[in-house]
Amino acid sequence: MFLMIIALAVFAITYFLIITEWINKMLAALVGGFVIILLRVVNQHTAFEAIDWNVIFFLIGMMLVISVMRETGVFMYIAIKIAKLAKGKPLNIMILMFLATAIISALMGSVTTIMILVPIMLLIAGELKLPPAPFIISMVIASNMGGAATMIGDPPNIMIGSATDYSFLDFVLNLTPPVIIIVISSLGLIWMLYRKGMQVSNERRAKLMEYSEKNLISSKKLLVASLTVLFLMLLALTLQVPLQLDTATIAMAGGLLLVVIGSRKKVEKILVNDIDWITIFFFIGLFMIVEGLVFTGFIDLLAASVIKVTGGEPKTTSMVILWLSGAFSAIIDNVPFVAAMIPMIEKLGVYIGDPSKLHPLWWSLALGTCLGGNGTLIGASANIVAVGIANRNGFKISFKDYTKIGAIFTLNSIILSTLYIWLRYYR
Amino acid sequence: MYLASFLDARDILVEQRILTKEQVYNMLVERICQHHQLPICGTKLYDMIIKLDEEAPTAYPTGIAIPHIRMEGFEDTVIAMAFLQNPVDFEGTKISWVVLIITDKTSSKTYLNIVAALMRLSKDTSAMAHLNSAHDGHSVFHRLKEMQVEIKRDLYISDIMISDPVSIMPDANLRELNYLMSANKIAGLPVVDENKNYLGEVNILDLLKVGIPDYLMMLDNLNFLMSFEPLEKLFDKQDEIKVREIMSKDEIYLRPEASIIEAVFEMILHKKRYMSVVKDGKLVGLVTAMDILLKVITA
Repeated sequence: MFLMIIALAVFAITYFLIITEWINKMLAALVGGFVIILLRVVNQHTAFEAIDWNVIFFLIGMMLVISVMRETGVFMYIAIKIAKLAKGKPLNIMILMFLATAIISALMGSVTTIMILVPIMLLIAGELKLPPAPFIISMVIASNMGGAATMIGDPPNIMIGSATDYSFLDFVLNLTPPVIIIVISSLGLIWMLYRKGMQVSNERRAKLMEYSEKNLISSKKLLVASLTVLFLMLLALTLQVPLQLDTATIAMAGGLLLVVIGSRKKVEKILVNDIDWITIFFFIGLFMIVEGLVFTGFIDLLAASVIKVTGGEPKTTSMVILWLSGAFSAIIDNVPFVAAMIPMIEKLGVYIGDPSKLHPLWWSLALGTCLGGNGTLIGASANIVAVGIANRNGFKISFKDYTKIGAIFTLNSIILSTLYIWLRYYR
Repeated sequence: MYLASFLDARDILVEQRILTKEQVYNMLVERICQHHQLPICGTKLYDMIIKLDEEAPTAYPTGIAIPHIRMEGFEDTVIAMAFLQNPVDFEGTKISWVVLIITDKTSSKTYLNIVAALMRLSKDTSAMAHLNSAHDGHSVFHRLKEMQVEIKRDLYISDIMISDPVSIMPDANLRELNYLMSANKIAGLPVVDENKNYLGEVNILDLLKVGIPDYLMMLDNLNFLMSFEPLEKLFDKQDEIKVREIMSKDEIYLRPEASIIEAVFEMILHKKRYMSVVKDGKLVGLVTAMDILLKVITA
C-alpha cells in the first residue's frame, strides 16, 4: 500500500511535469522511471521488462524508413503537386491537403507527416497570400484522423497493437471504416466553414504554377526502391498473422533495408539527426513509470472501481472509455494517457471474463484517444508540432483559435465513433 | 634565448635615403651574403625574396615586413634588418623596418619565435622610437641587446591577432552591418557595447537568414523554387532590424594568451573561420584562420 502511494506520487508528479512542460518531457519521464527503481517500488529487472521493445523498435524502424523516404523528395512533390492540381483554389487545396495528410499519416505517422507538410503549406499559403492558420488547423485534424485509421498511424495505436494480439489487419478492419466516415463528414464541415472568403489573384496563382516540383525527385532509383520497400512493409503487416512476424521486426527490416540501399554512407547522420531519441526515451520512461502503478496493484484497483461504476457491462464500459479517453486526450498528451489506460483495460478483461467482449473496449480506446487528440491545441503531438512551426514563423495560432475549430471536429468524430461502436458491436 | 643572440651588428642597416622595396631587398642580400656562408646567394636569393613577396604579403600593419627564406641544408638561422627613416610602400602598407630571415627548410619553431618577438617589438611604440633614433647598425645592435628582447618558446594568439578589429554595437541596424561587412570585406564581426565589452558575434549568414523564413529552413530542399520574394525584401527591413536580434550570444572566443594550436582546435571543432579574442570581458582582437595560414603555416 505504501509502495502504491509512492508509485502514484511519482506518476502524478511526472505527468504533471509532462503536461505543464516545465522540464523536457523525456527528462521528466526518464527521471520518474528511475525514481521508482531508486525508491524500490519495483526492481530494475521488472521495470526494464515493462518496456515494450516492440513499440520502441517499431518507432526506430519507421524513423529509418521516413529518413530515407524524405530524401527522395516524394512528400514535398506530393504537396506541391496537390497545390497545382487544385489550380491554386484555396478550398480545393484545403480539401486535397486534408485527404493527403490523412492518408500519409495513416501510413507514416501523424507527427512526421505534419513536420514535413506544414512548412510546405506555409510556403504555399505565403505565395498565394492566404491566411495559413485554417490550412494548418485542418491538416492537424486530418493527421490525427488518418493516424487513427491504422496500427502504425498514431503512437497510441502502436502501443495498443503491441500490448494486445491484434494484427495490422485487425486495426484496418475495425478502425479504417469509421475513420473514412469521419473524414468524409469532416470534409463536409470544411466546406461549410471555409467555402467563402478565400480569394487568390491570378498573378499569385501563376507563381505557384511555376514551381518545378520535378526537381524534387533527386533520384528515381531511390524513389522506386523506397516505394517498393514501403509496399512490401505494408504487405508484410497485412500478412502479419500467417507470416508470424511482429510489427517491430517488419518496421526494422524495412528501415534497415532502405538505409542499406539508400543511405549506408550516412548512417551516423541518420542516427544523430533522424532518429528522434527524445521520443524513444520518453516512451521508455513512461513504460517504467506505468509499471510502478501496475506492479503495486493500483491499476487493478482502478479497474475494479470502473467495473463498479459500469456494472461490468461491456457496452456501457465501451462508451465510458470512448468518451473518457476522448476528453482526456484532448487535455493531455494522448501517449502518456494510453500508457496508463492499456494495463487498466487488460485488468478489466480479468473482471469481464469473456475475452471476445473486450474487443470493442480496445477499439473505443483507440478511437477515443486518437480522435480526442484533435480537441485542443495540446491534445496530440502533431498539434503541438504544427502550431510550434506556425508560431515560429509569425503566424500565431492561439489555444482559442485552434480549439474553436478542433472541438467541432472532435465532437463530430466522437459522436460518429459512438454510433459506429454501438451499431457494429452491440446491435 | 635573446633576439640579440641571433644578430650581427654588420647585418643591421640604418637608412636615411628614400628607397624602393627592391633596393632594400638588394642591400640586405648584399650584406647577408658578405658575412655568411649561404647555399644560395646573390641574385638567386634576391629573386627568391621577390617571388615570396608576390605569393604572400610579408608586410604587417605595425610597419614591419618579414620576408622569410627557407634553404635546404642550411641548418642555421641568420637575420638581416633595415631601419628605414623614410618608410617604403609595401602594397599600401608603410614599412619602416624590414627583417630578412633565412632558416633551414625544417626549423620553423625558432623562426616563429623570432617573428613573435619582432611582432611584439613592432607594436611597442616607445621601444620602436628608441631603436629608430639609432644612427647605425652597431648602436641598434646594442640597444636591442640592452632591451633583452626575449625569444619566447611559444607563439600566442595575441602575437598574430588583429588588434582593435572592426566591431559593431547591438543597437546598430542591418544597413550599418551590411555596410561594415561590404566595406571591409569581412563575413563576420564581434558585437560589443560602448565600453568594448564583448557581447557576441554576428556573421553574414545571420544577415542573409533575415530574408528566409523559418519554414523554408525546414524543407528538405528548395530546388523547385526559382525566386522568393521575402529574400528580395531583406533590404526593406534593413533599417528596422537591429543587430541584437540576429547576433549569436554564446559564441566561443579565445584568450590573448591562447596558443595557436588551441585556436586551430577551436576553429575546426566549431567550424569557425575567425574568432574573437577577449580579455577580462573586453574585446581585444580577432584572429582568422587565414591569419594562421599566412602568418604561421606558410610563413
